[in-house]
Amino acid sequence: MNSLNISNLSKTYSNGVKALQNITLDIPVGMFGLLGPNGAGKSTLMRTIATLQEADSGCVKLGDIDALKQKHELRKVLGYLPQQFGLYPKISAQVLLHHLAVLKGITKQKERREIVDALLHKTNLYEVKNQNLSGFSGGMKQRFGIAQALLNNPKLLIVDEPTAGLDPVERNRFYNILSELSEKTVVILSTHIVDDVKELCTNMAIINKGEVLLKGNPLELINQTEGKIYQKTIHKNELQEYKKEYKVIAEKLFLGKPIIHVISENNPENGFISVNAGLEDVYFSQILSSSKKHL
Amino acid sequence: MWYDIFKFEIQYRIKRPETYIFFIFIFFFSLAGVDFVFQGIDMGSVKTNAPIVIAKAMAAVTAILMMVTSLIMGVSVLRDYQYNVESLLFVNPIQKRDYLAGRFLGSFAVLLFVFTGLLLGFALGEFMPWRYPENLMPFNFSAYLQPFITVVLPMLFFGSALFFVSGALSRNLMVVYTQGVLLFVPFLLTKSIKNDFLQALLDPFSLTTLTDMNALFTATERNSMLVPFSGVLLYNKLFWSFLGLLILIIGYFKFDFSAAKNKTPEKKKINTIYDLNTAADENLKISFVLIQYNFKTQFVQLLQLTWFYFISICKQVSFWAIIVCALIIILINSINLNIAYDVASYPKTYLVIKELKELSLYFFAIILIFYSGELIWKEREIKLDLIYGAASISDIIILLGKFLGLLLIYIVLILSLIIFGMAFQTANGWYHHELDVYFYGFFVEFFPFLVLYTFISFFFQALTNNKFTGFIFVMVFVILNTVSEFFGFEHDLYKFAGSGLGSYSDMNGYGHFLASYLWIKAYWIALGILLLILASILSVRGTETSLKKRIELGRQRFTKPLLQFVLALLLVFTLLGSYIFYNTNILNQYQNTAEELKFKADYEKELKRFEYLPQPKITDVKLQVELYPKTRAYTVQGYYILSNTLKEPIYKIYLQKPLGPEINLEEINFGREVFLDKHYNQYGFYIYTLKKALQGGEAVKMKFKQTYTTKGFKENDSNSSVLQNGTFLTNKAFPTLGYSKEHELDDTRIRAEFELPPAKGMTKRNDKTELTYAAAGGSADLINFEVTIGTEKRQKAISSGILQKRWTLGSRSYFHYKTDKPIVNQYAIISADYEVSKSRWYPKNNSSAVPVDLEIYYQKGHQYNVERMIQASKLSFDYFSANYGPYKHSNIRIIETPAYTQQAESFSGAVTFSESNEFMLNIDDQSDVDIILYRTAHELAHQWWGMQLQAANVQGKNMILETLAQYSALMVMKKKYSKEKIEQLLQKEQEVYLQAKKRYHKQEVPLELVEKQDYIFNTKGILVMYALQNYIGEEKVNFALKSFIRDWNNSNGILKSKTSNYPTTKELLTYFIEVTPVSLRHKVYSLFEKTKFDYI
Repeated sequence: MNSLNISNLSKTYSNGVKALQNITLDIPVGMFGLLGPNGAGKSTLMRTIATLQEADSGCVKLGDIDALKQKHELRKVLGYLPQQFGLYPKISAQVLLHHLAVLKGITKQKERREIVDALLHKTNLYEVKNQNLSGFSGGMKQRFGIAQALLNNPKLLIVDEPTAGLDPVERNRFYNILSELSEKTVVILSTHIVDDVKELCTNMAIINKGEVLLKGNPLELINQTEGKIYQKTIHKNELQEYKKEYKVIAEKLFLGKPIIHVISENNPENGFISVNAGLEDVYFSQILSSSKKHL
Repeated sequence: MWYDIFKFEIQYRIKRPETYIFFIFIFFFSLAGVDFVFQGIDMGSVKTNAPIVIAKAMAAVTAILMMVTSLIMGVSVLRDYQYNVESLLFVNPIQKRDYLAGRFLGSFAVLLFVFTGLLLGFALGEFMPWRYPENLMPFNFSAYLQPFITVVLPMLFFGSALFFVSGALSRNLMVVYTQGVLLFVPFLLTKSIKNDFLQALLDPFSLTTLTDMNALFTATERNSMLVPFSGVLLYNKLFWSFLGLLILIIGYFKFDFSAAKNKTPEKKKINTIYDLNTAADENLKISFVLIQYNFKTQFVQLLQLTWFYFISICKQVSFWAIIVCALIIILINSINLNIAYDVASYPKTYLVIKELKELSLYFFAIILIFYSGELIWKEREIKLDLIYGAASISDIIILLGKFLGLLLIYIVLILSLIIFGMAFQTANGWYHHELDVYFYGFFVEFFPFLVLYTFISFFFQALTNNKFTGFIFVMVFVILNTVSEFFGFEHDLYKFAGSGLGSYSDMNGYGHFLASYLWIKAYWIALGILLLILASILSVRGTETSLKKRIELGRQRFTKPLLQFVLALLLVFTLLGSYIFYNTNILNQYQNTAEELKFKADYEKELKRFEYLPQPKITDVKLQVELYPKTRAYTVQGYYILSNTLKEPIYKIYLQKPLGPEINLEEINFGREVFLDKHYNQYGFYIYTLKKALQGGEAVKMKFKQTYTTKGFKENDSNSSVLQNGTFLTNKAFPTLGYSKEHELDDTRIRAEFELPPAKGMTKRNDKTELTYAAAGGSADLINFEVTIGTEKRQKAISSGILQKRWTLGSRSYFHYKTDKPIVNQYAIISADYEVSKSRWYPKNNSSAVPVDLEIYYQKGHQYNVERMIQASKLSFDYFSANYGPYKHSNIRIIETPAYTQQAESFSGAVTFSESNEFMLNIDDQSDVDIILYRTAHELAHQWWGMQLQAANVQGKNMILETLAQYSALMVMKKKYSKEKIEQLLQKEQEVYLQAKKRYHKQEVPLELVEKQDYIFNTKGILVMYALQNYIGEEKVNFALKSFIRDWNNSNGILKSKTSNYPTTKELLTYFIEVTPVSLRHKVYSLFEKTKFDYI
């Protein structure tokens, strides 16, 4: 099986924004989570891998295929679901799927019919295959998106924030499909929802401001942080003080009162209690430290 | 509140580049606005900056620019929907009134700014170098400002109201693009309104309105007066402004000020269906597909895409709106086959095609420009582009699929037009559909242009990466491609798409024009494919949109096989270009218009001094003509006998070869020693000095050989005389004597450019030399004529004279003609595959006259009017021989000539009629004037007026030849038809005359001094002669004419034989006066000598 190797990938936009800085990642077969806040460069990275954007320097390889140069070769084994996309309003799911299948080179009618039908079943769109796409809900549209991405048995599947706007049931169904695929495929999933990664991914990376902050297995990463996370319920007006004194990595409201998480090698006492680290804590601690670094 | 929105709109637009692009486009377009609108129109003495001219040009340009109005006004509300901000916007506490008013007024203010470009452009246009000072009055800014306010602003307001509202209500970009051009539909519809006032009132562009206003004023008034804002113009503007207001009000009430509109209950239902069926088969295994990527794959992909985009256009409502508009236009304007005097032609296929093309061209242009933009942008507009981009399909296949999809649309539309055309023919009782002609007419003559301009449109859309800019670029390209002609860029090698195919002829098909046309189209299509490949390389795939980035990327996309293909294509392009160049510029001589003009100017400058030098006259012509229609060649061998009819000896003979490098004159032999001065060889002008002068009364035999050779093909070949079927040579195609005035430039302005004095027009009636000439140059008086013509076996060769012998030799047919009496030096040599219809005219109760053989030569299938022509000839001979004297020959031939000319011509003993005119007229005896009789009688009358009696080549010549022929024809008509029919005919002639009179500015010349003004000698002529015979009676007129021809005919005229002068109108008028009672003489004088004329 081929793995995806990204080395020293950089990209600066014409307005000076450094979207990618020296990104190096080795992504094996399986589900790979790309975690980062909005604007971290996730989509840029994914579009670059998906041959839709140019990098200034660096290299992306899927096995022997140089994704930056042999675009056509890569596209043959690529499935891509962009973050935002639209569909021709006046045709049906089945017709568009057939159309896209042809674009991907599946020109034998019988084969095409088989795979289109299979995917329609798989994504549970078979019942509505003759409906016009303009009537599709967000979830149906997203499932259609995954169906089209799978048409050519991709070896590399890139899904960019696929679950945004989906309800929990839809989300689960969507992830089931992905995880099944990830047995044989390199699947890159970008998200800013930490739980998604924890549940699904065997490997992950956190990126922010175009840089890889951390990469590894989610559970291992959690283990590294294990025992360093403490939690306390505080008053709203105390927040600034705590932020000065401790490494506050997260704050959230519980029953209207702020709960803060801090990271510390030793127990900070002062009413903090130790909690089990979650991926979220890993994530926030990384984002926090990277932001501090930039300040 | 509305003011904030107004401000926001303006601020937004100020930052948009489109605003300035539009301004600049309009400004530059308007600089040449007057020239563009009035190009090729004879404006007479009205100056090009007369207020009425400015007003009309401004109105027309504004009408053309309605698209820009639509692009500015239509998007102002639509924009909020396009960027999905409507829900953010409409929840704010803005009132609908404020929102709409702010948006409308803001956009309208921007529109006004953009259109100040029109005002400035027009005003500055006056100072452009291409405007001639003699056509300009002193600059007066109010002449620009006033029509801008009274004519342009109301138009803009109406357009703004309509486009704003339709844009806001439809929320469809395609509506915005197309509505501007679709406004032409109501404009075209008003053209069919019969009532003048209504037509002027309802014209949305007020063009007809201004024309109507214009008609009220004299030329001086048009120059001096601002266009008064009153009368029908005021009503027109009020009407359209109110309509605009009404549209705004309706729009206001119809506009739904809520964002939730898009969610219809129907769509929710789909969700419900889905939610009930959640039992997904998640364990289903997805089968493995083997993806091959070979030629076959790409072919299937191409087919799929072509069909997909074809269907996607078919699903557009806007597309059907365009089709419906086109249908309305075609149905209302209908196919108009009128040729003359409201008489229609038979619905011949090629005529129907021509009409259909004209009616639909505009809509094809809309579809081409807008849907090529639409297709290129389709995925990006609905945001499917990234999914497309990640699919493993090659760039060129995507683009080619879109391209072919659009071509398929054209093809289907063309096929519908063909079906419509055939239905039209069938409805008119015509069942000869000629599918092959339909195919050629549309798919060979028309389709290549659509294809080529689609290449251009695709290329610019891909290059500019902005739909609006793309549209503008395409239009600028079309304009530049046209305008460059005026700067000498005329050659088909660098004029994009090359020229059209010229007209189809039943006789000659597309003739020799087809081959060069196809070569040139192949050449441009090779370039078009290159452009398409370039477009695919530069097209956006993914998120890199800057042109610089795309060019960098392009290198990567230039794969090796693609590079090889492009190189091969470049090679093909170059080879085709070289082959064309070899044909047009090496095998043949190429001259652009400027060079042609210079040649003519030089001809005059160098050779004018040889005009009027004493020359012998041609008295005998004997020719042996070998025509080779298939290769378009001929050789002529023979001699002229040249007699010195003067008293003094002639030392030099000036021989003028017919111009053109394909014509060669050789083996010239005078039977005596000569010295040849080759100084003017480049003009084909040879000066032979006779060692022994030609004494008065002496003659010399000049032998010569002339050849015509076709080599390859020429650029823009206008030769329609040497043809594969229908070769038509006249005496002018053979050597002439002396300086040939016919090559002189006659446009005073062009002459001035070459520092030549203004054209003089025809010579005055008292010019001693020209009085002795019956035609320019006066090469001959009467000649004995004998010709033997050899041609292909299937063709018949025809000329003047009696057919002596006819034989075949191998694969060739020979015809030997000889005249029994001397004829005027006007003969034709014609060869084509003809049918013949023969008849004979017997003189009535006049035993001294001989019968005349009538022969009609016509193309197979064109027999419709042959019988009418025979009857018309008989009636004509009856009348003319009874009233003017006997016909001199024993035969007359009427010959059909190919459609390249519409003109009928007369020769000694022969008349030519065009296949696209007289031979195709479909005369309804109930409602129509019998034009066949009229035209046949006119041409046959020339056997008297022109062949028996020649007029001096001075002012008034055409009154003798043409006016008398018109009179003669009218009298024959009068014999056969009722007074009502005659009045119907005269009514038409009068309309034509009055219209022409308005157009021509110069003081109208009296009929007796007429030069080349067709509307005077023909149109007014017939009215004048009708009046004359009303005053003094037909018999008296005919008596005068009979005396005139008795005294002045060229074989034994009593007065003619005493002088070498030819008669003028001065002589003719004495005959008329003589037969007029004294009391009426002043009236008759004024008919011919004055221009004021009381119509019937």
